[in-house]
Amino acid sequence: MRGILNMAFRLAKNVQVRKESWGLLFYSPAQHKVCFVRSGDWLYPQYFNGTLTFDSLVGDIAKRLGTSAKVIESSIQKLTAHLVRMGLIINEPC
Amino acid sequence: MNHVDWPLSAPVNITWEITHQCNLSCIHCLSSGGQEALCELNLEECISIVDQLAALKVFEINFGGGEPLLKSFFPTLLNYIHQKGIVTCISTNGTVLNGEAMACFAGNPLVNIQVSLDGATPEVNDKIRGKGTFHQIIKGIELLAKKDVPLSINTVVTSVNFEQLSQLKELASSFGARLRVSRFRPSGRAKETWGKLKLNSSQLRELSEWLSQDPGILTGDSFFSISGEDRRELGLNMCGACKLTCCIDPCGLVYPCAFLQENEFCAGNLRETSLQEIWDFAPVFQYFRKLEPASCRRCPRFNMCRGGCPAIAYFVKKDLNSPDPECLINWSRDISLESLITAE
Repeated sequence: MRGILNMAFRLAKNVQVRKESWGLLFYSPAQHKVCFVRSGDWLYPQYFNGTLTFDSLVGDIAKRLGTSAKVIESSIQKLTAHLVRMGLIINEPC
Repeated sequence: MNHVDWPLSAPVNITWEITHQCNLSCIHCLSSGGQEALCELNLEECISIVDQLAALKVFEINFGGGEPLLKSFFPTLLNYIHQKGIVTCISTNGTVLNGEAMACFAGNPLVNIQVSLDGATPEVNDKIRGKGTFHQIIKGIELLAKKDVPLSINTVVTSVNFEQLSQLKELASSFGARLRVSRFRPSGRAKETWGKLKLNSSQLRELSEWLSQDPGILTGDSFFSISGEDRRELGLNMCGACKLTCCIDPCGLVYPCAFLQENEFCAGNLRETSLQEIWDFAPVFQYFRKLEPASCRRCPRFNMCRGGCPAIAYFVKKDLNSPDPECLINWSRDISLESLITAE
């Protein structure tokens, strides 16, 4: 877990994302597919521009929504791992 | 709730018929391509539409027509779109590729080309696309393949080319391309040829089985209602008109999809109204988002396809509450009747 705290997320090559009322919509031209992520107001596209560490991302959500950082950490870790597996985002040291 | 029902702030992709002009006169053309229309958008108007699409974060534009490469400013427009980072898929007949277009396509990660070919031999293709077109199209495909442009070959499946689908797949592979098949739908000139070119029940069944055996074949819209469960994860599994996509015609009119370009389905004019406003408020779009054909509601597959392709239902029965006449359930019923008649 400690390792991920200093990682940042970036969109995979050519992948695009936009905010929707229910969450984020990812688009992968290589796979010619869209991916619906029901994240409500937890996530924003700018979280995937490679500048925010996991730790600061969790802190930002907690501050905005008043939810426990522990709950956010666990959910976001699962979600981002899934998005990495799908080839939509990559994580890299920040 | 199916993903397709999650409300979107804007389309995922747009079909943009950039011109009516075409040098061919295919007997199944969905938009009756031929002469350029007087009302067609100029470059400045097109650029203003692209600015809207970019602001709305529309991911992809699928260009068709007519033949888009005949539009004089098309390369300029494409370059502008690519500067905005929007992915483009260009459907061309492959016969009018020129240096300017090739320069725009080659090595461009935002370009996908789809060349229409309706037979694996001149005899079959030329029956649909016109005399001498097979060789012209193959030349175009060779040119694109040589430049490694991402390429697929698109075939509208009809009774004329049905027997050649495997050959078409091999032909596509020989150019490093994938075969994409599209459903033949009775709009444009195809209204006149529907009776002659549509597939019969046995052919639909065979097509469905063939597709099930080969997940590598790409399929166009609306295959969800005629293919088996095994392909459901491969693409869109419900009609995306007004939910994920819509169509802009050469004059800036907006419709639910390219196959429903009829006055009664016009949602607005981009010369007068923004795409955002049309997408959010056009009554036609709101109607299509709720469309659940009454005649399909008791069907066991209803939640999987919601009635199939409304365009075919509309043109065949003139009633959007009718089922897609080619859907799995409908042709299964036809086959059962055929078997009974044969048995008797």
